[in-house]
Amino acid sequence: MEIIYASIGFFALAALLGMYLLTFVLRGKETPKAIVFTHGPMAVIGVVLLIIYILKGGPNPWESLVLFALAAVGGVYMLYRDLTGRPIPKALAVGHGLLAVCGFVLLLVFAFS
Amino acid sequence: METQSFWEATTPHRPEFPALDGNIDVDVAIIGGGITGITTALQLTNAGKKVAVLEARRVGGGTTGWSTGNLYVPVGFYLHNIARSRNQEVASTVARARYAALDYIEQQTREKNIDCHFSRRPWYFFTQEDNMVSTVEKEVETLQKAGLRADLVNDVPPLHLPELKRAAKMDGQARFHPLRYVLGLATAVAQQGCQIYEHTTVLDLKEKEDHCLLVTSHGVVTCRQVVIATHIPIGIHSVQTVAAPYRSYVVAMRLKSGAYPDAYFWHNDKTHHAITTHSSTSMELDMLMIAGNHHKTGQASHQEYQHYFNELEAYARKHFDVASVEFRWSAQHYRSGDGVPYIGLTHKSAKRTYIATGFYADGLTYGTIAGIQLADMITGRGNSWIGAFDATRGTNLATAGSFIKENLNVAAQYLKDFPVGKASHFSDIKAGEGKTIEVDAEKLAVYRDEQNQLHVCSAVCTHMKCIVNFNNAEKTWDCPCHGSRFMLDGSVIEGPAILNLERKQVDPQTEHLINTGGHTSGEREINNPIT
Ligand SMILES: Cc1cc2nc3c(=O)[nH]c(=O)nc-3n(C[C@H](O)[C@H](O)[C@H](O)COP(=O)(O)OP(=O)(O)OC[C@H]3O[C@@H](n4cnc5c(N)ncnc54)[C@H](O)[C@@H]3O)c2cc1C
Repeated sequence: MEIIYASIGFFALAALLGMYLLTFVLRGKETPKAIVFTHGPMAVIGVVLLIIYILKGGPNPWESLVLFALAAVGGVYMLYRDLTGRPIPKALAVGHGLLAVCGFVLLLVFAFS
Repeated sequence: METQSFWEATTPHRPEFPALDGNIDVDVAIIGGGITGITTALQLTNAGKKVAVLEARRVGGGTTGWSTGNLYVPVGFYLHNIARSRNQEVASTVARARYAALDYIEQQTREKNIDCHFSRRPWYFFTQEDNMVSTVEKEVETLQKAGLRADLVNDVPPLHLPELKRAAKMDGQARFHPLRYVLGLATAVAQQGCQIYEHTTVLDLKEKEDHCLLVTSHGVVTCRQVVIATHIPIGIHSVQTVAAPYRSYVVAMRLKSGAYPDAYFWHNDKTHHAITTHSSTSMELDMLMIAGNHHKTGQASHQEYQHYFNELEAYARKHFDVASVEFRWSAQHYRSGDGVPYIGLTHKSAKRTYIATGFYADGLTYGTIAGIQLADMITGRGNSWIGAFDATRGTNLATAGSFIKENLNVAAQYLKDFPVGKASHFSDIKAGEGKTIEVDAEKLAVYRDEQNQLHVCSAVCTHMKCIVNFNNAEKTWDCPCHGSRFMLDGSVIEGPAILNLERKQVDPQTEHLINTGGHTSGEREINNPIT
């Protein structure tokens, strides 16, 4: 069970950084790359821990994993656009965040109910 | 002292080439008018191709015109290291190709009667330290294995150094004036029908099924093949993960005695110094140059870049009777993962786009090799060098270490883009100083000139969005990630970036950005081409 709490911890940190990044995207400002390159790896560690937890068997929050995986695809695409000089669509940034938040809420419900 | 290249200062008659005006259709378009681009153009024009050279600034005005004008077979990475990272056969091919390129340059200067002071002379490689002895010996051995004549010697005659631990000599190397040479070639090839356009920046390029399209600042070029001869491919290219950018420094001096040694020397101890001599106007030697002190672009370990010049000057004064320092300049070189340049088709799936990069500071010869080889590839003639220089070869086990090191270094530069801890007032910036500061959640590159005027641009590099750093020797903004460099007004000088830094306006009273209604950051009409 500890693994899932660690995963929640990393997702929580990723979420905080993600909200901060969103404020830049919504204002049409350049995202600070130190935050971008911390946010992504935090979320990846969260996903890896979640996968390890699920692979151990028993009841698992697979819906969360699906939502995080979709959010990750959006994140990688936004990073690609950002670094190659293409604007980040604001709707995509918000959608990415919403998917991740939904995944996070489901994960919390699973872990604490 | 302002930085200025000796070669630029000693080229009195510079031919002018027009800017492109409208759309054209050619067999081959060459991006970049340095030694690589112009040699390629010459070879292709000789082979009957319709060729256009598109140069963003002036022909020869890139690194070619800011080098040190030495032509030699050995290489900075050392041939014996290439034998280790690849194999002896590749090392031998590299050595023999460089030998052939040297002959080629001599032949061109003769045939075209180019007044570029070409002259053969020896290369010496010596050390005063025990732990470098085997390096000198191995280099001689590798040259000999390649079938070339190099010898271990007991003295470096013109210098007569005390405590010489090991020295090597190779005869038949050469010096020349690289800018005059390239301009001479360009003039000749233009007379043969090659179209050369200056002040024409390539902004975008695309390889299609049966042609390539280049969007420039002055028109569209349609062609069958394209050669990216911009020293490092412009736009975003996977080779940028291995071809790391380094700056190195040159100081040119006159000697009281007038006794300029007629040879090229590598003095490689813990620090490396290259010693060379050249002539300003006639064949008579009248200038001593010391080069060295490289560091990754935008990542100087000394806040004061002048330190690098001062150190070279001090070295010169220790070994020579220096009368005066005449010129100081610095220039950029790009390394390669395994020490061998990348010359050939840009990707495994590419059919029409070629690159040439990763020359270290040995690229006057490598650029010539690239010109010969790329023309042979495009015209379908065979060339025995292609395998050794294959640009699609990727990273092997022997080079994985340097690949990881360089890319961790780039990641570390991104991690410095933290939104806190920066000076955030324009008043913190003194006259003659440049700083990156944060205003209204934007990183700005701000320079205050001696007249107290502020020059403000976005500090976000237009290549891959690292934050640029101020270079206080050359008064430029240098990107620490992939080596793009920009002038104080934000315009691109060199490197993979294509677009200028975005100019910003600031209200001096409120110290806030004035919304000019332009693009918000990250939004541009032209995106980085993936080349
Ligand atoms: C300090 C120093 C000393 C050196 N000394 C020597 C030496 O003694 N011997 C030696 O063999 N090598 C030396 N080198 C290396 C050598 O100078 C270079 O490798 C060589 O000049 C590279 O030539 P190039 O034609 O490939 O690039 P460049 O000469 O840099 O030419 C590239 C051109 O492309 C143009 N360009 C860039 N972007 C665009 C665009 N978007 N559109 C159109 N044009 C564009 C640029 O304006 C430039 O003119 C030295 C290097 C350094 C740093």
